[in-house]
Amino acid sequence: MVYTQGHYKLLLDALTNPDCLIDYSIADWELLLRLARKVKLLGRLATELNKRDFLKKIPVRAANILRSSLIQAKRMQQLTHWELNRITWALQSMDIPVIALKGVAYSLVGLPESAGRTYVDLDIMVPKDVLVSVELELNQRGWVCQKLSAYDEHYYRVWSHEIPPLTHVEREIEVDVHHTITQPSSGIKVNSGLFFEAAVLAEGTSYKILSSVDMVLHCAVNLFQNNELAGDLRDLLDCHDLLVFFSEKEACFWENLIERANQFSLGRPLFYALHFSVLMFKTPVPDIVASNLNNKPSTIVLWVMSKLVPVALFPLHPDNPSKRDRVARTLLYLRSHWIRMPLYLLLPHLIYKSYLAVFPRKNSQS
Amino acid sequence: MTVGQVPFGKFIALLSDSGLRVRVGPFNIRINTKSVTLANHIYRLYESYKLAEDEFAEFHVQVIVVHPKRKIFSPHIRFFVDGHSPFPPFPQEQGLTALEWGINLVIAARVSHLLLFHSAAVERNGQVILFPAWPGSGKTTLCTALIYRGYRLFSDEFGLMDPDNGDFFPIPRLMPLKNESIQVIRDYLPEAILGHEIPKTLKGTIAHVRPPKESFMRSEETAKAKWIIFPKWVAGSSLSLEPLPDSEAFLLLASNSFNYEVLGEVGFQAVTHLIRTCSCYKLVYSDFDDVISAMNDLTD
Repeated sequence: MVYTQGHYKLLLDALTNPDCLIDYSIADWELLLRLARKVKLLGRLATELNKRDFLKKIPVRAANILRSSLIQAKRMQQLTHWELNRITWALQSMDIPVIALKGVAYSLVGLPESAGRTYVDLDIMVPKDVLVSVELELNQRGWVCQKLSAYDEHYYRVWSHEIPPLTHVEREIEVDVHHTITQPSSGIKVNSGLFFEAAVLAEGTSYKILSSVDMVLHCAVNLFQNNELAGDLRDLLDCHDLLVFFSEKEACFWENLIERANQFSLGRPLFYALHFSVLMFKTPVPDIVASNLNNKPSTIVLWVMSKLVPVALFPLHPDNPSKRDRVARTLLYLRSHWIRMPLYLLLPHLIYKSYLAVFPRKNSQS
Repeated sequence: MTVGQVPFGKFIALLSDSGLRVRVGPFNIRINTKSVTLANHIYRLYESYKLAEDEFAEFHVQVIVVHPKRKIFSPHIRFFVDGHSPFPPFPQEQGLTALEWGINLVIAARVSHLLLFHSAAVERNGQVILFPAWPGSGKTTLCTALIYRGYRLFSDEFGLMDPDNGDFFPIPRLMPLKNESIQVIRDYLPEAILGHEIPKTLKGTIAHVRPPKESFMRSEETAKAKWIIFPKWVAGSSLSLEPLPDSEAFLLLASNSFNYEVLGEVGFQAVTHLIRTCSCYKLVYSDFDDVISAMNDLTD
């Protein structure tokens, strides 16, 4: 397996066995930190080293980079939580459920690894039937969306599971408002009402988050159904962390997870998440899980995915990116579009995107 | 070993292959470029920069020659840090400004274990004067005059402070003079070594001052600040140096920092301590001789 050597191994070992970092050479550290920055994992490495009291024992320049990243990660966490506070306040009078998703939800649920997680935006979910009024309410209270081309606007409104990102005029955190977890154009119809029914209050707060199994499913779906996988190692690590955390905390976690995935016909993205999480992070997943999931990929599809996914999840080598890694990324990019859109939408979409790549619009040139 | 001690052939080979590693204050930067024009400029102006071969480099920057789609026949250059380009392409003759701005940007965006003031800083008799930037301050020009008259350059752009103990780190680099300041410095300091004039940049015409060798030799010697002086150049004015209330100095300094908010409480405590241990002034000047003698009186 290619990712058990070279720069892949350098990063993977650091994540799965931080104790080994004490033996890294200066050159190893330099490459490791460049790689970790690309996949937003500097903050995580910093917290792992802090826990072991290693920051004073490693090269001081590396320690300074890690300290800087942790300070920045903490700042972004603070801003994101404050944004959630403001959104909740703004939507108070509407009396609707607002579910916090992804990073902010991981910290609300108490996931230990979330302490060093780097956030880039705030993700929330509201019921689809109030989406229009939610957007209007937020617009009136200062959240605006940046000017999009008519094409992108249409893409979001008609084919996507979220509306164009909103940002408050006085702040910088982007807010993604979702109404479901899969892209409607993918043909996978998920009854998102069930997420709201199962949602729970995060302990000690008045914020809603997805139930444990739904949170894992969302993480898996986001990675293997909505994303393009290139450089998404952090998201697979999220899956791993959540699986370990919930399976230790809840008695029937695995059974509930299987049942929920089958209920939504989301067995395939969950299967991939478990498969690759076990493969790379040795997640303790019982064998019964995979055997009871529906919609699993065929042996040949899984073989192809196993060749492509691990190398694509890793960052490219910053000095010598390999051709094979680029090809894997391109194929998975095509796959991500193939499973998200029927052909009659996909072809015009890719043609339009290729046109933009050659003749960029003025405001997107930079 | 300094850049100037590397034979030109080896210098070019480093830049275009494994990278030239130089010490830039408390950081090491690895620079890669295949642009010969840029290599020539760097070789002359970075002469006193120390090499950091085989050391850990915090920042890996590249300046790449590109051919923009709509300007196929006029090669441009593009600045990259770790494969990411924060700016659109620049005309090729602006390679040096792109490199210097790129390095500023990456320091400002990534460094949070130090407090970064947007300020010039010089040292005399073991203590630092900060000249925070504000519109019309002419901090680079003032800084140039001072460092050619016995002051040690810390930086014309960054006041780098360790929030734990208040130590300032020197980060001597090229200093970009803009527009009229170029002639002003040529007239006042004929001995100053300036790079070529780069016209039509985003900030007008730019020429870089090569700081004196001593600033680089002593770039590891930190010092604490004793004075915070907000300068303003006003044509024809006579010199005035007035005390500034601590509260006002605090706000001006904190709001002029690149990462004060990111550091949160640590930043607040550090700036509070800094203001309490420094004397703060407002300076208005027009004549270099006057301002240098006033600074000498203050720091004697």
